[in-house]
Amino acid sequence: MASFAGAFAASHGPLLVREWDAVPAGEKSRLKNAFEELGRRLKSAQPDALIVVSPDHWSNFFLDNYPAVCLGVGAANEGPPEPWMKAFAHRDIAGHPALALHIVEEAMRAGFEPSVSHRLKLDHGACIPLWRMGLETLPKIVPMLLNSIEPPMPSLRRCLDWGRLLRQAIESYREPIRVAILGTGGLSHSIGEPTMGAIHEDFDHETIRRFSSSDDALISYLEDELPRRGNGSEEVRNWLVAHGAALGRGFELVDYLPVPTVIVGCGFASWRVQ
Amino acid sequence: MRDYWLSKMFYDLQNPALAAEYRAERDKVLDRYRIGPEVRKALAENDVPFLAQRTNAYLLRYYFFGTGMKDEEFIRRLRHG
Repeated sequence: MASFAGAFAASHGPLLVREWDAVPAGEKSRLKNAFEELGRRLKSAQPDALIVVSPDHWSNFFLDNYPAVCLGVGAANEGPPEPWMKAFAHRDIAGHPALALHIVEEAMRAGFEPSVSHRLKLDHGACIPLWRMGLETLPKIVPMLLNSIEPPMPSLRRCLDWGRLLRQAIESYREPIRVAILGTGGLSHSIGEPTMGAIHEDFDHETIRRFSSSDDALISYLEDELPRRGNGSEEVRNWLVAHGAALGRGFELVDYLPVPTVIVGCGFASWRVQ
Repeated sequence: MRDYWLSKMFYDLQNPALAAEYRAERDKVLDRYRIGPEVRKALAENDVPFLAQRTNAYLLRYYFFGTGMKDEEFIRRLRHG
């Protein structure tokens, strides 16, 4: 049977690429160290497959049909379509169809109804962390695109439940492989709104603290606060999936720093799963 | 509220070839979408708050980034028109 190899989370944001040279040296050093430390931890977990939970930034879906959750079940997915992501080396990213289809079947059995895609474009949300983590060779990637971009979005509690479901699906997969989860996005930021550029450090610190408290305390805080903490903060849903998969055991904060140059409160976390 | 066709154009303009065409022949591209005169005027005037009420915030940002508006100017217009 497969085993759960670990859960991780990292922020993303276009300016982590486009404005990288403008990031002050001290902040850049911390960002680089945090991404690379997460990369080292992921490598040491030796995953054969990695479920990457990220939003779709209008790369695959439009208003015609924007699924709450879409799982990538194809043999391969495409690298990021954004022109400024051209330097990302991986253009054809191997998937794990058998594992992905098993997750879909387990989800359906459990009363979840994800959309599925046999070929997705993995935009900066998925690929910036993979890039900055320094993974020369990628494990097979099972993309899970979770809507945190266009309302209505999945409930926060449902995201936790998705994480638990992923854990159960991983541990019931018949092949003896190791599977990890990477949630990307958050923490606070605001895109295309009048508050664009705002980073809510108080919210970020309290959110991080609540990941060590009960699910109810975490969810109720986020439900109250998210509507006024910037639309990008909604991506914390992807952290909730990782948290659910780790069975809510809390994470070790690799680093957190607000980076005004990239307009994101940048967080990096590694869950305790042993 | 979502203006479907405005949003559709913003979505499509993520394609660099279409974005280049839009920069060169804006009206020709606009004519392919069912965009009303008020919205067309707002596009011509870079009326960010008006457009913000009609599309997703990420698509709005992508559009103005693609047209070359600096973030500082975009944010100023978002806040003050």
